[in-house]
Amino acid sequence: MKAKEIMEPVKETLTPKTTLKDAVNRMRIARRGKGWAGVKGMIVLDNGNLAGIVSIKDILRAIIPSYLALTELGEFTWDGMLEEMAKKVADKKIEEIMTRDVITVSEDAPLMECADLVVKHSLQRIPVLDKDKKVVGMIYIRDMYQAIVQALFDKEGKR
Amino acid sequence: MTPEAATASQPFVMGASFWTATIIFLLAYALIISEKVHKTVVAIFAAALMIVLKILEQKEAFHSEVLGIDWNVIFLLLSMMIIINLMKPTGFFEYIAIKSAKLGKGEPMRIMTIFAIVTAILSAFLDNVTTVLLLAPVTLLIADALEVDPIPFLIAEALASNIGGTATLIGDPPNIMIASKAHFDFMDFIYNLTPAIIVVMAAFLFILKIMFGKKLHVRPELKQRILEMDERDAIKDPIMLKKSLFVLSIVIIGFVLHGTFNYEPATVALFGAGLLLLLSGTHEPHHVLAEIEWPTIFFFMGLFIIIGGVVKVGLIKWMSIEVLAITHGNMFATSMLMMWFSAVASAFVDNIPYVATMNPLIIDMAHQIWPHLQGLKLLHNPELMPVWWSLSLGACLGGNGTAIGASANVIVIGLAERAGKKISFIRFMAYGMPVMMLTVLISTIYIWLRYYILKI
Repeated sequence: MKAKEIMEPVKETLTPKTTLKDAVNRMRIARRGKGWAGVKGMIVLDNGNLAGIVSIKDILRAIIPSYLALTELGEFTWDGMLEEMAKKVADKKIEEIMTRDVITVSEDAPLMECADLVVKHSLQRIPVLDKDKKVVGMIYIRDMYQAIVQALFDKEGKR
Repeated sequence: MTPEAATASQPFVMGASFWTATIIFLLAYALIISEKVHKTVVAIFAAALMIVLKILEQKEAFHSEVLGIDWNVIFLLLSMMIIINLMKPTGFFEYIAIKSAKLGKGEPMRIMTIFAIVTAILSAFLDNVTTVLLLAPVTLLIADALEVDPIPFLIAEALASNIGGTATLIGDPPNIMIASKAHFDFMDFIYNLTPAIIVVMAAFLFILKIMFGKKLHVRPELKQRILEMDERDAIKDPIMLKKSLFVLSIVIIGFVLHGTFNYEPATVALFGAGLLLLLSGTHEPHHVLAEIEWPTIFFFMGLFIIIGGVVKVGLIKWMSIEVLAITHGNMFATSMLMMWFSAVASAFVDNIPYVATMNPLIIDMAHQIWPHLQGLKLLHNPELMPVWWSLSLGACLGGNGTAIGASANVIVIGLAERAGKKISFIRFMAYGMPVMMLTVLISTIYIWLRYYILKI
């Protein structure tokens, strides 16, 4: 199977100037497929071109103060600090917190390439690009796993 | 005849090699100051040019005590970096910082004072950048906990580290370089500079209170956050911590005694680094060694070669003749000129290349004033001593003047910016410049009183 056969369409995107708070809200109300919960990541488009990707981890990273990230001071934080810090960075622009070096695949990429990337870079999702480097879809780790399930079992769960 | 005497007595001609070396020197320093190219890159390339263009023989650059790399400085720096790199993961420094904050009982002004004192003391034994790198993260955490502006704390720490570093031979690179060139031992610095720094530090704490005392207020319930912290949680590796403290004590005792037993400071530090590496039981020293500040080390090596070049062609001698023309050989005037010129120069340019240039200049000058003296009789001439101490005080304390005056300042500003708090050039100078002026003024009075009035 190839990337384009299991990718899902990208319905919602962010822009570099979206604030962190808006991004969190957009991710909260967005739906993927038949899902009922919000999404855990979104791509950032600048004039239609892929500029970055934001995941829950990027948002956490933006909230954690740099001095904690640099050191082992976690034990000395206090109750309510995370919430406090979240409010402090609410107005940050997405371009400041997004992952800029996005790992992508082409439409015709074999699933093995996608699986390899997912494991190597601890990814949850990979944007799929067409020949003009425009995003045409997204591959999720769960859909890839689904392909494995189908390879090992038929629809009735036998084999 | 000592090697120093040999160089200084050599006649010099302003020929092709004189101008070649001078141009390399000036261009290199201009590039370093402009920050257009990384200073280490400049130093390495300019040093290579000095050898390629036959200003210096490679043998002189690598092996001559007078013209080449000062391995005493290099190995002292390397060894101290290895010791600190091994010590860092134990959590010792975080422990001290949290403990200090608790001693301050959550009162911001008390915490700032205690942090300034701790920074100064640590800086006297570690390099300044390391000290602020270790303390600044905890400072930012404490400021967040108390919901106060961290900038005054960070500026106070940068200033305190530059002051504290002046107190000992190993506290600040200028002192390491001066000690190596002028053959001073650890106790010479303790005896001559530490008293000055204690007075300077007291005055600095007083100014801190005036500058920031009224601005810092904290809601009582926030102080609780500090008091609830348990500094013991910071210790990650108690066994390695004990080994580190054991080795560190040996090293400090070694520094105190190295003059008596005729060891160079670098030998003491190298022994400490080797011993701690051995005790750490590491099978993979790669990581510890990779974390050495190699750019700094190579900056020093390059600078030593560049300076060797201009010493050899006589530029430094020419400069020393010019200085003598201004001071007419009056050593009090020379000390004062050295102190204030060094302070102003170090406020704007890196004090390491500055001191690297001044060391041979002072020696050349001394040769001209006392042509019959050699070796330690020349270097430790009672009339010359205050000039060395003025160079150290001026060059180290001058670093406080501006945001770019010392590496500790640059590091603190960088860390603050990463934490989303910008410290502008002007804001740093608003605090740094008065502190520099006052501390250099106190040092001036100290030098005058101690060496020219009391003569002790």
